[in-house]
Amino acid sequence: MKTHRIKPAWLLAVICLALPSVGTSAITEHVSPDTGLSSWKSQGDALDFELVQVLPDYVRAVYTSRGLPKAVVDKVSSYCVFGTILRNTTDRPLSYRVADWRYITPDGARHRIRTKSEWVSEWRDMGVAFRWSMLPDDQTFAVGDWGQGFTTIALQPGDRFALEYSWIQDDNTETRLIKGVRCAPVELPEHN
Amino acid sequence: MRQLSCLNTINLRAYLILIWLVLLASPGVSAESEIPGLGYQFTPLAPLVAAPDFTLKDMDDESYTLHDFRGKVVLINFWATWCPPCRKEMPALEALYKKLGDESFAVLAVNQWEDPDHVFAYTGELNVFPTFPILFDPESAISEDYGVKGLPTSFLIDKKGRLAYRAVGGRDFDHPQVERLIKELLAGE
Repeated sequence: MKTHRIKPAWLLAVICLALPSVGTSAITEHVSPDTGLSSWKSQGDALDFELVQVLPDYVRAVYTSRGLPKAVVDKVSSYCVFGTILRNTTDRPLSYRVADWRYITPDGARHRIRTKSEWVSEWRDMGVAFRWSMLPDDQTFAVGDWGQGFTTIALQPGDRFALEYSWIQDDNTETRLIKGVRCAPVELPEHN
Repeated sequence: MRQLSCLNTINLRAYLILIWLVLLASPGVSAESEIPGLGYQFTPLAPLVAAPDFTLKDMDDESYTLHDFRGKVVLINFWATWCPPCRKEMPALEALYKKLGDESFAVLAVNQWEDPDHVFAYTGELNVFPTFPILFDPESAISEDYGVKGLPTSFLIDKKGRLAYRAVGGRDFDHPQVERLIKELLAGE
């Protein structure tokens, strides 16, 4: 009986074709010379995407200054929070849905990101009507539109992960992966 | 809920400075350029529907009702003090208001979830003091009626009180294209 050996290169090609398309666009990490905090920015796509580390103490200050109850402040600041800035760079509308995004921990596990609606729902149950500061669950950006807000990841200060995000334009979904993202430290890092 | 201790105010200021540094700093690029450029595009809305009416108070407790502006073109800007692009677009909004604000064009800046004392202190820190009305939407009920998801978001309302254009994110309101749009609305029915 004749046997067929599968060449490793063919096997790799088949695996690659079977996997969902996840691009890695030009992503740059920047360390602020003023604060020592890091940010990651993807440019050259239809959707400009930037993640900015936010210190837990800053998160605490933002929500405390809004007069929110301590339980809300404690819960949000226990998350790994990033300032997230998105911008439509094209001449056609595009949209995103945070529910479609995933963060991937070093063990390879994929996790949902807690959405603004989930936060607002929890706060509403506590009698708090505040609904700002978090990145909206989903938005359609027309030409020139952009937005920002906090993204919350259920990890600890300094933890590493990869972020997979996506957007939809002309019925096509584009996906990108930012590797090596780190949660902000507990305190400002030492820097020059 | 709204009471801030003096200590919290001082801490908040320090943290706001910190987040500005985090958001704005970038090597080889000016700090200002790190926030996306404000742009000038507004998206036309169709079909034209009536703008949700509201009555809100300003810092002096004076009431403003949108319906009373019928016959004028109105720019409504939903904003908050903690929102960096809201701060960045404020001087251009004031410049536009100074240029076109009269009996036929009005600007209403609708603050979200903040109290007048806090906002008054904030306006004192701006390079340009806003002279257009700043109204207070303390429970964000009006922004919800307008379907606002993120701040800042702005609308242009035509003389018949209909939502004509929307802009999500900060804008350079002093851009000639924005002025042209408003003049077209002023010239319309």
